[in-house]
Amino acid sequence: MAELSYREAVAAAISQEMARDPNVVFLGEDIAAAGGVFKTTEGLLQRFGPERVRDTPIAEQAIIGAAMGAAMTGLRPIAEIMFADFFAVCWDMIANQIAKARYMSDGQYNLPLVIRTANGGGARFGAQHSQSVENWAMAVPGLKVVAPSSPADIKGLLAAAIRDDDPVVFFEQKSLYASKGEVPDGEYVDELGTAKVLRNGADVTIVALAAMVPRALQAAAILQQEHGISATVVDLRSLVPLDTQTLLDEVQKTGRLVTVEENPRLCGWGAEIASIVAEELIWDLDGPIIRITTPHVPLPSADMLEDHVIPSVGRIVQTISRTID
Amino acid sequence: MNSTEFQATPVNGTARVPDEATRLRLYRTMLQVRYVEKRAYDLFMQNLIKGTSHLALGQEAVAAAFGVAMRADDYTFCSYRGHAHTLVRGASMAGVLGELMGRECGLMRGKGGSMHLTSVAHGAMGSYAIVGAHLPIAAGAAWSAQYRKSGQVAVCFFGDGATNIGAFHEALNLAAVWKLPVVFVCENNHYMEYTPIGAVTAVPHPAADRAAAYGLEPVLVNGNDADVMYDTACHSLARARQGGGPSLIEALTYRHGGHSRADPGKYRPQEEVDAWLARDPIPRYRQRLMAAGIEEPVLMVIENETLQALDEATRVARESPLPSVDIAGTGVWADGGAAWRN
Amino acid sequence: MNVVMPQLGETVAEGTIAAWHVKVGDRVEVDDLLLDIETDKVATEIPAPLAGTIDEILVAEGETVVVGTVLAVIRPDAVAVDPDDAIPDSDTQSPLPVAENLTPLVQPSAYPAPLSPAVRRLFAQHSLNPFMVSGTGAERRIKRSDVLEYLRNQTAEPEQAAALTTTTGEMPGEDTTFVPFNLVRRMTALHMVRSKAVSPHVLQAMEVDFTNVAKVRAKHSESWREKTGYSLTFLPFIARAVCLAIGDFPHINASVADGGLRLHPHVHLAIAVDLGREGLVAPVIKTAESLSVARFADRIHALTMKARAGSLSNADLSGGTYTLSNSGAFGTLITAPIINQPQVAILSIDAISKRPVVVGGPQGDSIAIRSIGILAQSFDHRAMDGAYAAAFLRRVKAIIEESDWLRKLI
Repeated sequence: MAELSYREAVAAAISQEMARDPNVVFLGEDIAAAGGVFKTTEGLLQRFGPERVRDTPIAEQAIIGAAMGAAMTGLRPIAEIMFADFFAVCWDMIANQIAKARYMSDGQYNLPLVIRTANGGGARFGAQHSQSVENWAMAVPGLKVVAPSSPADIKGLLAAAIRDDDPVVFFEQKSLYASKGEVPDGEYVDELGTAKVLRNGADVTIVALAAMVPRALQAAAILQQEHGISATVVDLRSLVPLDTQTLLDEVQKTGRLVTVEENPRLCGWGAEIASIVAEELIWDLDGPIIRITTPHVPLPSADMLEDHVIPSVGRIVQTISRTID
Repeated sequence: MNSTEFQATPVNGTARVPDEATRLRLYRTMLQVRYVEKRAYDLFMQNLIKGTSHLALGQEAVAAAFGVAMRADDYTFCSYRGHAHTLVRGASMAGVLGELMGRECGLMRGKGGSMHLTSVAHGAMGSYAIVGAHLPIAAGAAWSAQYRKSGQVAVCFFGDGATNIGAFHEALNLAAVWKLPVVFVCENNHYMEYTPIGAVTAVPHPAADRAAAYGLEPVLVNGNDADVMYDTACHSLARARQGGGPSLIEALTYRHGGHSRADPGKYRPQEEVDAWLARDPIPRYRQRLMAAGIEEPVLMVIENETLQALDEATRVARESPLPSVDIAGTGVWADGGAAWRN
Repeated sequence: MNVVMPQLGETVAEGTIAAWHVKVGDRVEVDDLLLDIETDKVATEIPAPLAGTIDEILVAEGETVVVGTVLAVIRPDAVAVDPDDAIPDSDTQSPLPVAENLTPLVQPSAYPAPLSPAVRRLFAQHSLNPFMVSGTGAERRIKRSDVLEYLRNQTAEPEQAAALTTTTGEMPGEDTTFVPFNLVRRMTALHMVRSKAVSPHVLQAMEVDFTNVAKVRAKHSESWREKTGYSLTFLPFIARAVCLAIGDFPHINASVADGGLRLHPHVHLAIAVDLGREGLVAPVIKTAESLSVARFADRIHALTMKARAGSLSNADLSGGTYTLSNSGAFGTLITAPIINQPQVAILSIDAISKRPVVVGGPQGDSIAIRSIGILAQSFDHRAMDGAYAAAFLRRVKAIIEESDWLRKLI
């Protein structure tokens, strides 16, 4: 085991896979010479050279389109979209082309590509650089969606995404880039579509994603200590494929579900989870399903405003202590 | 756009005439496209083809020229008006007609439809229904060939309307900067859907006048001259294959029908339509071939064989069963499934 | 001990001191009249709950105070019971629930706090209703965990439960008709088996002459029925007698625990009610030691009605310290009841009927016709011996036969 930061784990995963498979290539804006605007890809150009690690113009449609063309013809490209909000700029490529192509061709080719991006708020960048948009990708059939919460999960899940033969949209939460954690040494590959239970409790099941996971864990500790509420915390890790079995098992044990989502309220991933649980576990529910989300507004820029809207540990504790009896 | 006669404008300054075998291949290829498109029209009128169809009647020379000039392992990408480009790569007529009719024998078993004809086995990497989207994708395929040093080239066909969309510019720029082995072929049929292209484009030649913006040579050619197109194709393919980077070609042509099946094309002035019908590439090429000494019976054999092949393909397609509804829920993922959950 | 303003009617919240019959320093015996109280509904007399001396009188004649207010303090003269275990200050007791708090219920969905889907399913699966389970959630909401806890406590392990409701002998091999046990039947079966297994039951019976009570009943039955809408039975008199007797025999009102006997400070009197096919329930009258005969009659009637309506709350069914089992209506001579755990004794009241008995008089013995009934108590021989239990029964008999019931009733 070694201690890596979340951002170092990105480079470590890409490095591991590029070393292993010469078909893995990487393109994006400022990813090569500069090592990424978030310093997530430092050292890759030096290690693998300019044919495999390519800086592009500011041209999101070209970046993603090229990744698709390369993936159709034998390569395994990783494309970076600098900020997840920019998916809107190349959404045709992602949602209309990549997501649908295999199906429309009746499976004549696969698209083994990864689109990585820096997602979410907390960095005071303002509304156009701070939204959590996993649900945009979740809503499109044909895309796998991953959002790790720890350096170990970054390393393992990014490696798995690169090895996956389908398009994977890989959401790195920018507010977690500096966080640190233990990462297994050597070659490490995790499994897409698997959630993890990080804490076991009896009174409520908290399901969280990415940057909301550490907050949920902190809140669970406070809830135990100060309110005598014992909470299970599930890190969903992948939205597509969704580990519904773990979700249903854990909610059944406690009879209560709370989601913690960084995204704005409407159509966040928690809505789909709530729908599945309400349909398949209605007779095990001991109370209403509660979603804790950012309200349905663009994110404000000022630090205290942004911190106020994104679910905080305090708001999680307060909401749960009021709704779990 | 004016409708004056264009001379051949070869890339390297000299026009070359292909050998006879090649010319006959060109003729047969154009004929295949013409016959299939006409048959598609008839089948549509008989309600055997549903939805919509975008026919390339009148534009056969461009696709045929590249189809004959390309290597089998080259890649092509085309727009929703892509029956021609898919056929010229060697995809079967039954596969194309079957796909249009939504049958089991269709190239994609009815899952893609007219606008998305794909035959990866023939290097036809898809037809794309979002205007301009396939240009960056073609650039990506070219990047892949460049990376793998395979010598493959990607050829990308699109209409004049696509030259104004963002993806066109992003793709051209990237291809030029990375010197990708991709040939961008603009089939300028003078109309962006129902609108004359001149009314919505800042420059007279929608593709050729943009080439300089990407450091490329302007190439403006007669899209209805199979020999010129073949020559142009060979040059651009060779350039790409030898590491010379991308080309942007504007081929002037005209569609005989409307934009889609739903469109009778009444917005075009009759004199213009008549003038272009007189430049129909296929009868003109037939005349040229006979003038070059090829016996008419030779051409008639080709015509009959092609017609018979078409009729056989039509029969096969009509007799092909409808696909099982079960396939609707398959094939999203590489494992053949569509599961989003466990 | 404190004498408090009692709740004299379900909607009454206060009362007025009409007249004091004692003053500070007076000595009183049990049931001596202390004061008269008036409400807008009724005037009533308050008897002394024990023998002692009036230490304080805190509310003057003519004053109106709310239910629960301390009116006077009596210093008991005989410390038969540890002062800490004495019938405690009434002001710490919650008054009998006011009618507004009792929602008459027909369906579970009308229960105050809503039932979650998980709870509804468990109720359906186990034939429960919300009044059987106490809720520990917000606003006494019944949580899924409350129902699961209830089921754990009620039923044995499935194998054990099955064993307890299965015959241990061989039945003749004829075509039998199967009548399945519902949940109440099953739980009753388990409770009875356990009770017998845990407590060594001894039965003692006493013949009691109920003639004085019968006279008072006869005199007042019509007016009572007119006033209240129900009949005045022997039961409230017996209940009052039992509570008074327990005052002198606290071990009767106890539980075996921790290698000893825990004496309960209050008498929470459970009255067994037969619901016919629905089984037996034993709703509890809390702090019964402070109730007069009339109050007993009211409470018994109210609880019986609730029991028959299926609307008993969990509070109504829990916490009993002594049980009366009234079989009199069935005409039995004597019954050996099974102790209602965790209590240590239970009293069966069987038929009271007119019999010829020998009575002594100044002219010697003669035959008289008296209303005689048998009171039979099963007691737990771990908790006490026969002498103690019999002495208790003798006391009950004496109270029934010798009290001035006319005074006590009104």
